Amino acid sequence: MSEVNITLTVNGEKRHVSVAPGLSVLNMLRDKLDLTGAKLVCGEGECGACTVIVDGTSVNSCLMYAVELDGREVTTVEGLQKSEKLDPVQQAFVDKGAIQCGYCTPGMVMQTTHLLKQTGKPTEEQIRRGLEGNVCRCTGYTKIFEAVNQAAEG
Amino acid sequence: MSEAIEKTTLIGKSITKPDAPDKSNGRTRYINDMVLPRMLVAKIKRSDRAHAKVLSIDTSKAAAVPGIQAIVTADDTPMVGVGVTKDNPPLKKDIVLSMRDELVAVAGETEEAVDKALALIEIEYEDLPAIFDPAEALEEGAHQLHDDKPGNLSLGYQTVHGDIKQAEKDSDHVLDEVYDVHYVTHVCMGPGCVIADFDTHGKLTMYTQTQYPYNYKMDLAPSLGMHPGDIRVIQPPVGGAFGSKLDVYPFEPIAVFLAKKTRRPVKLFFSREEEFSASPTRQPARFHIRAGVKNDGTLTFRDVDALLNNGSHTSWGATTPFVMMRTFTGHFRVPDVEFRSRAAYTNMPYAGSFRGYGNVQATYVTATVMDKLAEAVNMDPISFRLMNAQKAGEITPQNSKLEECLLGECIETAAEKTNFLEQYNAFKAEQDTPGRYKKGIGIATSFHNAGGAKIHKSDGCGTVIMLDDYARATVITGASEIGQGIDAVLTQIVAEELGIPTESITLVNNDSAIGPWDVGVHASRTTFIAGNSAKRAARKARDQILDAAAQRSNVAAEDLDLRGGSVVQDNNGVPVMKIDSLLRKMHFAGEDAELVITHDYYEPPSEPEGDNHVGDISAAYSHGAYVAEVTVDTWTGVVKVDKMTAVQDVGRVVNKLGIEGQMEGGIAFGIGYGLTEEMIIEDGEVKNPNFRDYKVMTAPEAPELEFHFIENDDPDGPFGAKGIAELPTIIPAPAIANAVYNAIGIRFNNPPLTPEKVARAIVEKQAAKMAAE
Amino acid sequence: MMIEYEEYLAATSVAEATQALANGNVTVVAGGTDLMVQTAASGRGMGTTLLNVRRIADLRGVTVDGGRVTIGALTTITDMLTDGVVADTAPVLAETADRFASNQIRNMATIGGNICNASPAGDMIIPLMMLDADVELSSWVEGAVATRTVALNEFFTGPGKSVKTANELLTSVSFNRPAEGFVGQFGKTGPRPALEISMVSVAVGGVASNGGLTNARVVYGAVAPTPIRASNTEAALEGTSLDDASIQSVLDVADSEVNPISDVRASDWYLRHLVRVMTQEVLESVANV
Repeated sequence: MSEVNITLTVNGEKRHVSVAPGLSVLNMLRDKLDLTGAKLVCGEGECGACTVIVDGTSVNSCLMYAVELDGREVTTVEGLQKSEKLDPVQQAFVDKGAIQCGYCTPGMVMQTTHLLKQTGKPTEEQIRRGLEGNVCRCTGYTKIFEAVNQAAEG
Repeated sequence: MSEAIEKTTLIGKSITKPDAPDKSNGRTRYINDMVLPRMLVAKIKRSDRAHAKVLSIDTSKAAAVPGIQAIVTADDTPMVGVGVTKDNPPLKKDIVLSMRDELVAVAGETEEAVDKALALIEIEYEDLPAIFDPAEALEEGAHQLHDDKPGNLSLGYQTVHGDIKQAEKDSDHVLDEVYDVHYVTHVCMGPGCVIADFDTHGKLTMYTQTQYPYNYKMDLAPSLGMHPGDIRVIQPPVGGAFGSKLDVYPFEPIAVFLAKKTRRPVKLFFSREEEFSASPTRQPARFHIRAGVKNDGTLTFRDVDALLNNGSHTSWGATTPFVMMRTFTGHFRVPDVEFRSRAAYTNMPYAGSFRGYGNVQATYVTATVMDKLAEAVNMDPISFRLMNAQKAGEITPQNSKLEECLLGECIETAAEKTNFLEQYNAFKAEQDTPGRYKKGIGIATSFHNAGGAKIHKSDGCGTVIMLDDYARATVITGASEIGQGIDAVLTQIVAEELGIPTESITLVNNDSAIGPWDVGVHASRTTFIAGNSAKRAARKARDQILDAAAQRSNVAAEDLDLRGGSVVQDNNGVPVMKIDSLLRKMHFAGEDAELVITHDYYEPPSEPEGDNHVGDISAAYSHGAYVAEVTVDTWTGVVKVDKMTAVQDVGRVVNKLGIEGQMEGGIAFGIGYGLTEEMIIEDGEVKNPNFRDYKVMTAPEAPELEFHFIENDDPDGPFGAKGIAELPTIIPAPAIANAVYNAIGIRFNNPPLTPEKVARAIVEKQAAKMAAE
Repeated sequence: MMIEYEEYLAATSVAEATQALANGNVTVVAGGTDLMVQTAASGRGMGTTLLNVRRIADLRGVTVDGGRVTIGALTTITDMLTDGVVADTAPVLAETADRFASNQIRNMATIGGNICNASPAGDMIIPLMMLDADVELSSWVEGAVATRTVALNEFFTGPGKSVKTANELLTSVSFNRPAEGFVGQFGKTGPRPALEISMVSVAVGGVASNGGLTNARVVYGAVAPTPIRASNTEAALEGTSLDDASIQSVLDVADSEVNPISDVRASDWYLRHLVRVMTQEVLESVANV
């Protein structure tokens, strides 16, 4: 099986990675780049725990082929924080108690980041619809909605 | 002179969960993320038959796959069972009893290699007649599934109080009904995972998702042929547990067998499909209940017969009647009550413990029956419940001492806040008017342990507190953090006692070699028991500090307090000295040197059950009354929960964000149980082992929530607090079912109320109505 | 389990892609949302050359030329939600896109992929069939790109199967801009609003006239091995003034035309029931427009 050399930007840094054609972006991030924030929860695009942002759009990294990232930019949860302070979306999740076990959190934070770029001040309906692809088993979503609102105001 | 420091309290405030920042930016390494040096990965080959002889297992092709380091079958193991009754050998030999039975395990350098190898394992089966129905399993002449379990009987329970026959004679109405409650599963976001690692002494470290790290050693060791003292348990952060990790399940000893054989760390993990199909489930049950009432509304008796599907092997699910019976005998005043249960082995998946533990099932029945009995005597759901609610000081037939009993207040508050009766009557009047959407309102109540459950030799928890020279505290507790927020609660309690900021506290609770014993996180015990243990250890530290301060000042210890990092005069808050400099003085005092290191082991004042299951099993109880407001789409059968109002007796709120989060999350489980979650199992096979077809609540479905916490200060709880997080999984489902009845006049004895089930019932009701006309 | 591809190609033109397809043994990936799941389920039967067509220029976007609307195969479902030409010519496609899976999936999934996956429940297929859409299939023949057009109504042959051959690439789907007065509605149901593979979906369209529809189109998804045009239902609907009684008659015809089978998600009884209530909902909505 031949591997493919790709060059991509990960969290602002240029990286050269060698990947098998069938490798998912999620497995590349976790196994080759040690970016374990994005989680493998279902592997089928049904839960959103693997959400990352590619060229400004959120995607399920478990479904995307790593080879497709050649020449493109991907941002993971590890790439949001730009100083000793958490990124405002991350801080909002912390402040509002939107994190319990936290396994869904990276995907939620990335999807929230994307949602807020699309709609600066989303309505409740837009928040619910925007997060419809992100499953959380711990929180019942209420505090996640509050976190999104706080981040929208900030 | 420093300014006076006011007395403030952290109890009832919101503090951020200490591990939240690391979880928000991907820094947290969960067990699923962990890699150890030279680690191998492993997976299990499971049976694809529900019941069969295993004629042969050929692993030769699998072993030849490059990168494969070890393959084990039952022949390579001591064949000692794990599980609550030790009937579950980690790897199965000769016979498989379910489609999750573990036959072969493979360890290799990469997941790819292991997957290739698994696909090359050849197994020959000879099918045997399979039994899926527990009633069938108990029939005369049914095939014996376990040689040492005659009649396929697993555990049975019984409790008898009073005279049912007489009570029935005294009743004016007797309800006689059957309820079937279904299989659901935990759906932890983090799939099952364990890492087994031997050191060169032969001592084992388990990196595990277990919720009961100390007794876990005792339960695991025999299957490995090891001494429990040679096992160290490390608990990395996990992606949820909800009760799924309170027993030893085969995959963990299997990882150890592989680690032993390869002399390398082995990480064994589940696929999502396996997580759905091979994890322990919630215990399903069939209840036959007879319940009586007098015309004046007084409850007379309950007689309950429960039949449990034990599945192929026994885990905690078979013991859920222990909790079920408490609700049947003790929720509302029922003088005469009997409960009997039997669990029967079948070739189905087995059940474990799951948040709510038997009370979810029992409350679905009792809360629906209460509504029906109310109707039978023409009373509204509120008055009927109030009439039969116990008062403070009453003791249930099983000896649950309801010292406080806020059931009545919960019901009154719930009814008032939701304008219950007005809505109920209005919706009832609209049932038969034309219109696609029908609204309904329903109430359900329950009570649950809120201070542990004395089912083991000890229900205790230990804490060690160490203060360093900078007044930073390390709090070492036996209590496990599984996402439920005990880290925040214990931090607040210790900070409150020691008068230091929460940021000065580090919690350590993930290594059995370091932490003192705790029986486990279950039974809503941790805030109460671990909280009391931490509070008492902190108080000892506080006393030691105040004594030392008194010695070094002109103020008596009882006139001093700890606030804001300082020792202050209690009456006016004027600082006397800083805690950190006092600690250094104490430390560097030559021969009189002292460090502040304290410990406490807290055993709650509860009693184990004696004969007839009588005993005040928990140090505290809690009641709740929840009101569900729903809209039923009579065309598609979809039931939408518009609002859930939860009134609960919580003792005292410790962490506001934490208690709300646990309530909100628990309610999501309850709504799932009532409406959308269902394991579809055909011929022993789980047919919906994925998120697409097993439906947990998603963001658009989250209802509006309103909470009313009644804070009466539990006399024994830390700062009055007690356990809260199981009731929100227990109460919503029957509240929703009762609301659906209010909307469309149809009862459902079998959750979940899926759209198809509701639509069918509506069509059948319309057809019956038209036939009658 | 990851399939072992032996070769990887990223085509940048239709010519390049169709030449690769002509060589055989190819698995095409566009958005990848269905492919990754399918290869995990069974790695067999997939070609060992992974052909990435996502970089082919000009295959993404919606254009209108004269009366003809053309949607490039690489147009994503999110594109459909927000595109101005779609909003102007066939807003029912945007409404359908809004009900599709989740935001993350919509951002990746392509219209070409949705059609080629040929699921009987394929969301975007249903309203496109209602619009009498055609697909363009391209292949490499005698040194050049050749195309043929197939009506979407004739494209599907079974669950996951279509008339597209292994050496063809779906490059666009197009339809005539609907006539003045055209109304089209899409209805989909499953017990949860999100991430839902349709239990039943329905699209009804036609030119509003006299409280009913002419040139009526009725398309169902997930009630047969392929998405279907319910021609008897269309005939019953055609020109009928819609009221409670006439709607019920149309529903009876629809019921006779669909053949849903029980599966893990729902019984055939319930699927039939949904056909009735979803069609009723859409018809009542159309009648009120």
